[in-house]
Amino acid sequence: MRLSRRWIPALVAPVVVAAGAVTVPMVADADPGLPARTPQQVLELVATSTEDSFSGTVEQTSDLGLPDLSGLGGGEDGAGAAVELLTSSHTARVHVDGPERSRVQLLEQMSQRDLVRNGEDVWVYDSSEQTAVHTTLPEHEGHEPAQPEGTPAELAEQLLAGVDETTEVTVSGTDTVAGRPVYQLRLDPRTDATLVDFATLAVDAGTGLPLEVRVHAVGQQAPAFVVGFTELDLDTPDASLFEFTPPPGAEVGEQELPDHDGRDPGELPEGPRPEVSGEGWATVVELPVGGDVAAADKSGMLEQLTRPVEGGRALQTSLVSVLLTDDGRVLAGAVPVEQLAAAAR
Amino acid sequence: MLFGRRRTWAMLAALALVPVLVAVAVRIEDPGRDGPPFLGSITSNGLFVSLTAMTVSIPLFLPLTVGVVAGDTIAGEASLGTLRYLLVAPAGRLRLLAVKMAGAAAFCLAAATTIALTGALVGAALFPVGPVTLLSGDTVGLGGYAVRLGLLVLYVALSLLGLSAVGLFISTLTTVPVGAMAATVVLAGAAQVLGQLPQLEVIHPWLFSAHWLGFADLLRSPLDLGSLGENALLQLAYLAVFGSLAYGRFTTKDVLS
Repeated sequence: MRLSRRWIPALVAPVVVAAGAVTVPMVADADPGLPARTPQQVLELVATSTEDSFSGTVEQTSDLGLPDLSGLGGGEDGAGAAVELLTSSHTARVHVDGPERSRVQLLEQMSQRDLVRNGEDVWVYDSSEQTAVHTTLPEHEGHEPAQPEGTPAELAEQLLAGVDETTEVTVSGTDTVAGRPVYQLRLDPRTDATLVDFATLAVDAGTGLPLEVRVHAVGQQAPAFVVGFTELDLDTPDASLFEFTPPPGAEVGEQELPDHDGRDPGELPEGPRPEVSGEGWATVVELPVGGDVAAADKSGMLEQLTRPVEGGRALQTSLVSVLLTDDGRVLAGAVPVEQLAAAAR
Repeated sequence: MLFGRRRTWAMLAALALVPVLVAVAVRIEDPGRDGPPFLGSITSNGLFVSLTAMTVSIPLFLPLTVGVVAGDTIAGEASLGTLRYLLVAPAGRLRLLAVKMAGAAAFCLAAATTIALTGALVGAALFPVGPVTLLSGDTVGLGGYAVRLGLLVLYVALSLLGLSAVGLFISTLTTVPVGAMAATVVLAGAAQVLGQLPQLEVIHPWLFSAHWLGFADLLRSPLDLGSLGENALLQLAYLAVFGSLAYGRFTTKDVLS
C-alpha cells in the first residue's frame, strides 16, 4: 500500500514537537562565554556581592537513596515533616528586599505555606490548615543573618565557611543557571572518610549571588541534593508583599521566642550539649537524647526507615547517616554508619 | 451543531449539578477542615464553591463529558450515515475536522464556565460572600477574584484541549461512536493513573493530564502565569500531534456510510 502524502503532517508534527522539547532547554543552557577566573576571584565575587533584593523561584530535589515516603502521609509531625523534606522535591518562590524583609512561599499542589518577615514581625501562614502564627524577633544588632533561610545563598555561605585546608576548591567551568551566566565552583573534600564526593556552587557572574548548590554523593551518578534558582529577577519586589495581614477565618496564633537572657543568640539553650568528633567533612555530631529513641517512635516510621546494627538502629542515606544507639544517643554525620558506630564506642 | 443537541445540554446540566451538590452538602453539614481543598472555606465564603467543584470535577466529570463530545465528532456522523452527505458538499475534510475540533474546544470552555458560574451563583445564594482568601494568605476583592476565576476557566478549558484532540483522532478510526468515547475516557483515566506512579516520574511532564490540578497556581499572590503558559504549550503540542494524525487518517480513509 502506498503511503499517502496526507500522512506527512502526522509524521512531521511529532518530530517538530520533540525537536522543540529537546532544543529549547539546550539553547537556554548554552555556554555563556565568560572570561576565566581563579577560585579566589570567584569567592571574592561572592564575598563582595551587594545584591540583596530580588525575587525568584527556587527548586529543591533530593536523591538520597531513600524510598519515597510521601504516601505515608506523616507530614504533620516533626519526624514525618523531616522525612518528607528529605525524600521529595519542593518549589518555593522567594522575594527578598534587604536583610530585614523577605517572603518565602513554599508551593504545594493545592496549598502553600508562606514565611513573611518584615523587620521584627514574622508571620507563618499555612493555607491548608488556615493558620497564621506571628512571632516578634528580638532586637539584637550585628547578628543579622546576611541571607534569609532556605535560599541557595545561605547554603553557599555555610559551604564557604567550611572552606579551609579540608577542601580543594576549583573553578570547574561556566554555565547558565536561571538564565544567568554563572561560574561553577567545585568543592572536593580532601578526605575519603566522607560520603560527600564533591559539591558544586554556581555563582552569578554579574552579581556574585550564589544561584545553585549541588551535592554529589560517593558512588551515585545523579546529585544527591540540589537547591537552586530556576528563575531570578533582580528588581526590588513590591513592598506590599511583605505586609501580611491574617485573612479572615484564619486561626491566628502568637508564638513567643524563648527568652535569651542576654546570652549570645548563637549559643545553644540549656540542656544536652552535642559532642563533636572528627573534623571537616567527616565531622560526627553526637547528641544525648535519653531513653530508647527507637522505642519512642509511635508511627513506626523509624522502624521502616532504619535497619538494626550493632548497638542500635541506623539510617543510611547516600549523603548522611544517623545512628540511634540503644543507650539513648543520636549520632549523625556525612560518613558511613560504620564510622558512626566507631565514634559511639 | 453541537450545542443544538439535547445531549450536550444534558451533560452541561450534569456538570452544573456538581457545584450545587457541593454547596447543598456543605449547607447541611459543616465539613470542618477535612475533605477536598477549599471545601472548608465555603461556609465563610460561598465563592469557594466554584473552586471545590472544579477540583472535584477535573479528574472524572470533565474528562468524561469531553470524552463523549470528542469521541462522537467523526464517528457519530459516520454511524448516523450523515458523514457521507457532509463530505458531498465541497467543504473539504480538513475543514470538517477543524469545525469538529473547534466544537469540542467550545464545549471544553462551556463546561468549565458552567461549573465556575453555577458554583459562584449557588455559593452566593446559600452562603455569605466577601473578599476571597488566596493560597498565599492575601485577600482579593470581588473584581480581582472575577479576573482570577476567568483565568481559571480558561486554564481548565485549555487543559482539556489535549484530550479533545486525542478523542478526535480516535473518532476518525471507527464508525462506532461509543467505542471512541469509551477509549477517550479510558485514556484520560490511564493518564491520571500513570501520573500517580512515582516510578514513571520521567514521563509525568508529558502526560496531557500533567497540569490538570495546576489551576490552583492562579490562586496565589503574586499572580504567576507560568503554569498557564506551560500548560498551553503542552496542550498545543497534543493538539498538533493528534490533530495531524486525525488529518492523516481522515483524509485517506474511505467514507462508506
